[in-house]
Formats: sequence, structure tokens, C-alpha cells
Amino acid sequence: MEEAKIGVFLSDCGKQLAGILDFKGIAGYLKKVPQVSLVAVGSEFRRGQGLKTIVDAVKDGKINRVVVAENIPKLGEINIVEAVENAGLNPNFVEVIDIKDHCAWPHRDTPKEATEKAKAMLLAATERVKLAEPIEKLEFPALKSVLVVGGGLAGMQAAEDLADMGFKVYLVEKEPFLGGLAAKAGRFFPTDDCAICIQSPASDVKTITHTSRKCVYRSGFSEIPNLNVLTNSRILKVEGAPGNYKVTVERKPRYVSEEKCVVCDLCTSVCPVEVPDEYNARLKKRKAIYINTPLVYPPVYVIDAEACKFEECAKCVEVCPTKAIELSQKSEKVTLNVGSIIVATGFREYDSSVIKEYHYGEYPDVITQLELARMIDGFGPTKGMIIRPSDRKPAKRIVFVQCVGSRDRRWNPYCSSICCMISLKHATLIKSAFPDTDITICYIDIRTTGREHEYYYERAREMGIKFVKGRPTEILHDPEANLLIVDVEDELLRRFLELEADLVVLSPAMVPVEDAKQLAEVLGLELDKDGFFKEYNAKLRPTETKKRGIFICGGATFPKDAPTTSLQAHSAAVKAAKFLLSGKIVKDQKTAYVNEDYCGDCEFCPVTCPYSAITLTEKADGHFVAHVDDLLCEGCGVCVGTCPVGAIELRHLKPSQILAQMKALLSVNGTSKPLILAFCCSECGHAAVDSSGMAMLRYPANVRIMRVPCTGILQVQHILEAFKAGAQGVMIVGCKPDGCHYEVGSQKAQKKAEIAKALLKEYGIESERLEMFNLVYMEGDKFAEAARAMTEKVERLGVLQLA
Amino acid sequence: MAEGIQKKTSTKDFAKEITGRLGGETITLCYQCGTCAASCPVAKITDKYNPREIIRLALLGLKDEVLSGGAIWLCSSCYNCQERCPQKVEIADVIYALRNIAIREGNMPNIYAEFAAGLMSEGRIVPISKFLEKKRAEFGLPPLKPAGVEAVRKILSTAEFDKIQFKKGEAQ
Repeated sequence: MEEAKIGVFLSDCGKQLAGILDFKGIAGYLKKVPQVSLVAVGSEFRRGQGLKTIVDAVKDGKINRVVVAENIPKLGEINIVEAVENAGLNPNFVEVIDIKDHCAWPHRDTPKEATEKAKAMLLAATERVKLAEPIEKLEFPALKSVLVVGGGLAGMQAAEDLADMGFKVYLVEKEPFLGGLAAKAGRFFPTDDCAICIQSPASDVKTITHTSRKCVYRSGFSEIPNLNVLTNSRILKVEGAPGNYKVTVERKPRYVSEEKCVVCDLCTSVCPVEVPDEYNARLKKRKAIYINTPLVYPPVYVIDAEACKFEECAKCVEVCPTKAIELSQKSEKVTLNVGSIIVATGFREYDSSVIKEYHYGEYPDVITQLELARMIDGFGPTKGMIIRPSDRKPAKRIVFVQCVGSRDRRWNPYCSSICCMISLKHATLIKSAFPDTDITICYIDIRTTGREHEYYYERAREMGIKFVKGRPTEILHDPEANLLIVDVEDELLRRFLELEADLVVLSPAMVPVEDAKQLAEVLGLELDKDGFFKEYNAKLRPTETKKRGIFICGGATFPKDAPTTSLQAHSAAVKAAKFLLSGKIVKDQKTAYVNEDYCGDCEFCPVTCPYSAITLTEKADGHFVAHVDDLLCEGCGVCVGTCPVGAIELRHLKPSQILAQMKALLSVNGTSKPLILAFCCSECGHAAVDSSGMAMLRYPANVRIMRVPCTGILQVQHILEAFKAGAQGVMIVGCKPDGCHYEVGSQKAQKKAEIAKALLKEYGIESERLEMFNLVYMEGDKFAEAARAMTEKVERLGVLQLA
Repeated sequence: MAEGIQKKTSTKDFAKEITGRLGGETITLCYQCGTCAASCPVAKITDKYNPREIIRLALLGLKDEVLSGGAIWLCSSCYNCQERCPQKVEIADVIYALRNIAIREGNMPNIYAEFAAGLMSEGRIVPISKFLEKKRAEFGLPPLKPAGVEAVRKILSTAEFDKIQFKKGEAQ
């Protein structure tokens, strides 16, 4: 590689810093540093004339490494790196540091000390670029196709968005029909309109208007170009990498040809097998060949393989006018090649029978909200009549019980968030249709936090629906009167009530779907403690997962109402589109690499890597060595901190660079205080140092900042080397343990610090000389305080004597 | 009840005192759903006792009201409330913790004070009466041996039972 010719550009930030730092002295010092070819002082280098100076020097070949000390380093870095890259220099040859917030401001009372520290900081920066190697840009092809798992409200909307945008979409649904919970729920709050209507696809050019929405079955959903719907199917296996997944899907046989069936109903009329209709809350029977409701998609019959007698009977085959029934259909495996995956598997009602004292599943007149929804549905098993299932007589007195298995630390500790609104919706719908129905809702707290939601509560009270604050202890059955009795304390009256009811409706907890765990394993996703899919960041990235290329929306992450589900579906679609839009994934090769000569037969890094980017591969000699996937690696360096033999390194921060920078930072003191090295992560740790400077807080200049991508990169060795290089104390400043940008880095660093402390003791060094801090941007004051306290503590301990 | 909440009668750290005691650890989990009260066979027959209300008073710091009244002594320890509490509040055990605090502070119904005094002096809660001896003889049972009072006292004093002031409480 060409000999390094370093250009150093010092911004006095519009003369702000000229009164504190001796720029002349610094420039003079730098000029004597070997391989520094150019030193320039100016008021600004991140744009305009200043930036042109840098670019010209690069273009003229005067310099091939760039160090800039600039105001607002993050903004500056983006501009400078881009300009220098355009001028033909590799971006890794540029280092931008902040001598204002990290030096001049905090040490403004001691200008001489600040100047000496600035020299050390700049020397460290020159060391870094001197040892830098070019970082390449990587490109990975990405298929412009998406798999959406789950055909409920969320999945349908995400699939439609993406198909409309021109992506090839596969929508996989495990049930024979689309719609999920939405199809069963009948009506949705807060609009009380049909649950099965969706946005109109862009391809519906004939009838679409800006505001139109349509029932799934007449929305033209199936006719959207690029959209393939696979019902009765499940995901078996996912291989490959972001941008290029190979997904194996099992399609269970429908036994009815989707191409031929005309939904004429002849088959059901001859089918002799009757079974309870699970879809309709077992309130009616259905045949072995069936369709859920006339309004479903696809409008094609399906045969229930468990109930059907197949060839023994085959009456439907005889009668079908289009020869659509194919009893010989077999389950088949389909391979889909997609660039991205969206998980939209939704949620389900919890099995209320676990609460024995409510006798769900034992007393037929104790039902759940979803079962009640089937009754309210005019197309449902009771045609809209509200009955008690035991004798099918109209239910005149209905008691709702809230929080069944939710907000319950025995089953599901969380609030399912939508059940209060479901109760209010159902109660008001029933009351509107049958005003003489007596309805009581037993609640712990009524939670109506969404837009328009409080009005439901208001309307319910206006309509005469009664509310009892109190959670029933038991539901009893009076067999003679065929009545249910709900035993509850009205807390506000401090009176015990025995509410008589024809029908008791439980509001069960909403829980993850049964196969969430299996799907999470197939996709390599994490579940939270309640079993829902875990999003990458609940605040900022609610529809992304830790796996690049896999997105998530709707009830899969937590029970949600329809508006939130829609929002998330659109969000996930946008995220997937953004990911695949260019047809390639571009990233810098700021990744880890393995020195295969040292690596062998251990599993530390593959197990620790937060992104599963490292795998073990067998070499010809039978040894296993680690292999880093450049696409998956995020460049945090947690693997580096874990490797017991130093066989894995980061391309963008090599061990030689760490060591050289440390030595440089500690080469000049200039203060009367003991030198302290602060390893700061590039994320919250470094930001805390920034903000302490921005807020003009003071701490002494003996504290030197060593930036690392993540504190997880630190090895015990690094800490010992810092002491060897002249540090009297070492600080590690990382993110909060549960807020680490690289998941585990901060926790790993904490452990490393504990080990190092023990080791220091062995060497006769006071363990208090090492301290870990977990800070965020807003805690600049805490950083300054920590730096001051650390200095005082190390001063008290006296000069460190190394044997 | 309401007027005490913000006034002197409210003891700020009462909840902490309870959670610091064996059995009282879970009291702060209570969100007043009322399952305990509806489950309680005692509450159904007397309005003097309502477990939900006792927990609420305790969490509001109304210590005197909780301890000096007779309510906490009415729990029959059937554990129905504890079985059904959705927040896993160990209600019956919380009541025990409250009773223990009450005893420490000298709030004890007479009958319990008598039991305690008997235990200290005779080593027995129920003293050996002539009637009892006669009945035993009728059934052919041997006479009761005196309890090892010294040993019992030693155990009791290790538990600092002897330091408790057994003043006769107002509670019944």
C-alpha cells in the first residue's frame, strides 16, 4: 500500500475555540508527527471552502489520509466522508474527531491542559488512519418478492400494499380461508362496520375511488397482479439470507379444485357427514365439505379430511357439475424464493377453561366474546339472534366478565388491551338490536384509551347497560331454572351480588397463536416473555425484527385493534419495500474477519454473536473454524471481545489501531492529574460525552476518550494494556445494559470489567482503578460527574506502580 | 375512611412494613378487583370483615384502623381468596402478617391474650382443667403430663415472644 500522507484539518469552529486552544502550537506539534504532510487551520471544514480544501488536497495527491477536528462531528463526518470518497479516497482513511465538545468546552478553564489533550487526541487520530486499511463496499442481490405469513387483516393489507407497489407477493395462510380473526369478529370498533372489509387494491381500476373499501370477497383481492394466495398452507423451512430466502411451504390438500369450483352448494346438500362447526362456535353443524360463510375468500369449498369418508362415500364427486372435487389430492411441498418475509400471524383467544370457577366448556351458556361475535353476525349460526346455547332460547339477561385469564399473574399477567372495547361494542350492538336485553358488565377497570373509544362507554351507559366494578369469583348453575348465577362484589356499594343470567360472556385474554414458537424457530426470531414475536425496538422500529429482511405486523407482537393493525401492516410493507426496492443490499464491509491460523474448535463467537452472523465450518484438516457472514455482521465487535485467542478482528478497528490509539492518547498528559482512559462505545457512551461537552459541563483534561464501536469489543487484555500504556485509571462507558445497540455488548463489557478487576487485584493494582458506567445521551452530567469522581478517586489511590 | 388518607392517621410506610413481614410480601400487587371479597365465606355473613377493604386500608396507610379493629381476627383461613386472586396476592397470609403486627403493637383480642398468657405460664394454650382430667379418665386415657414449661419459654423467648406486651385489647 502507498505510504501514508496524512492531512490534518483543524477547525476553530468560527474562532469559538481560538481563545481556549493554542492552534498554532497544535499545528506546530502535528507538523513534527511522522507522515503528516499537511496541517491546515480554518473556521470550518465540513462544508463550503473548507471542505474544498480537503478535497483539493486529496485530488492533488498531496494527502491520502484525512484527519478532521470539527464542530458537530456526526454531521461533519457524513459530508466529509462523502466528499473524500468522491475524490477517490477510501472512506476508512478519514477520521473526524470533536475537539470542541470532547476537549475545548469541558476544559475551558485550563486552556493549556486542553491544548495538550487536543494534541493527544489528534495524534491518536493520525495513528488510526495510518494503520487503516481500505473498507470495500459490498453488494448482495435481493429478490423483489415477499412472503407474508398469515392471511388476516394485517397480512392481507401488507400483501396488497406490496403487490400494488409491484413486488411479487406470496400470502400464506394456514386455514382454508382468509380473514383470520377479522372474519370471525363480525364487526370492528371504532367504526362498527364489517370486519372483513379491506382497502381496495390499486388494480381494481373500474370501481376504485380514493376512499373506497371493500369486502374481501368482492375487493378483487385475488385478481391483484403479482399476488399469490396459498391457503391451507404452512411454513416448514426457511433457508438462505436476507434478500434471498428459500422457503419451503406445505400445502395441505383442499380436495376441491380452486379452478373448477363454482360454489353451487350441491356437494353440501348430498354430504351425509355432519360435525360441529368450530368456526361458528359449535352453534351449528356443518358438513364434511364446507365453506365458512358465503363471503369468504377463496370462494371454494374445502373437505375436512378428519370427517370425510372419501371413496367410501364420494357422493359429492358424483353430484359436482364441474368435476371440481379431487379426492386424490395429496399434500405438496412448494418452494418460494423471496427477498423478505413479513410475519402477520395474529393472536387468538385464550382457553378460558383454565379458570375452573367460571366453568367454561362445562356450562354451555358460558361463552367467549368471539363466540358471541358469531351470534351477532347476521350470517352466523343464529342469524343474528342472541340465544343461550343450552336450549336455544333467547338470552334476555347477559353478564359480561372482563379480564378472564388476562391481568392474571397465574395465566397472562398483561392487559390484552382490546377486550374492554370488544365488550362495549358487543353490548351496544345487542342493546341496539334487542333493547329489552338486560346487560351487565363486570369489570376491574374499564380501559377505553383510543380515539372515539370513550364514547362507546358513554353510549353504553346511556343505553342502560349496567356496570359492576368487581371481578366475579364464580359462575354457578341453577339446573332447575337453567340459569347462571354470577357471584360478584359490587365494590362501590360494598355489596355482594348474585347476578342471574341466561348467558355469561367471558372476555378471555388474547394470546399468541399456537404455532408462534415453531414459526419463531423456523425464522430464527425471538419471542417475548408472553410468547409474542419480539420487535426490534418497540419505540422506533415496531415492525422490524432483529433479523434484517424479516418484518412483523399486527397481533403477532401483541393484541391490537384494527386501526393499529392496519397501521402496522402498511408500515411493515413500506419497510419490506424499502429493503428490496433497489434489488440489492449495499453495505460497507465493516465486519469481523477470522484469522484461521489461530481459530479452532471453540464456540464462543458463534454463540455470542447477537446477529447469528458467525457459523463454524469444517476445514480439510478436520478442525472447525469460525466464518463470518458479511451480510449479517453488524460490525459491533462483541465476537472480538469474546475470542479467547484473539483470532477474530474487526476490519474497521484492528487490534493494532486500538493499541496505537491508546498509546497516543496517553502519550501527552499536560495536567497535574493522573491520566484516565475512558473506553466509550460509539452509541450512547460517546453520545453522553458529546452532551456533557455541549452542555458545557466541566471535567479535567486528564480524562481521554477512546472510541470503540461497542464496549462488547473489549478484552481484559485491552484494559491491562491501557494501564501499561500509562493510564492510572480506566473507565468503560457503554449503553444501558438493556439498551445496548448491539443487544449484549454492554452486559458482556460489565462481565469483562469484573474479571479484569479480579485480575488487577492479582497484579497488586487496586480494582477501583477500573469502573464501568452505563449512560445515555441525556446523561452528559453523569459522565462529567463520573470523570471528576474517577479522577479524585485515582488521585487518592496515588501513583500506580507497575512492576 | 376517606378523611384519614391524607391526614395524620395515615402511616406512609405501612405497606412497606407489611411487605417486610413473612406472608405480607405480595400486598402491593393488589389492584382491588374484589375477587377475594366475593370468595370470602366470612364476608358473606358479616359486614365486619372484607378482605379487599382491609388490603385497601392497609395500602392507604390507615394503620390504626386496620390494626385496632377486630376485622383482621375474623379471617377463617380457608384460603379461598388466595386460591382465586388473579394477582397472586397471598391474602390469607397478609392477614397473618397484619395480625403479627397487631400483636407486636399490643392490639390483640382478649382470647388470644389469654392463650398467650397460658402458653407462657403453663406451656399450654388450653390449661389442664379438672373437667378435662375427669373426661380423660372416663375414656381410660392416662392423665396429662405437665408440659416442659421451661423449654417452651426458652423457645418463646428466642422468638422474643416474651417481650410482647399482652395488654388486653379492645378488639373482641
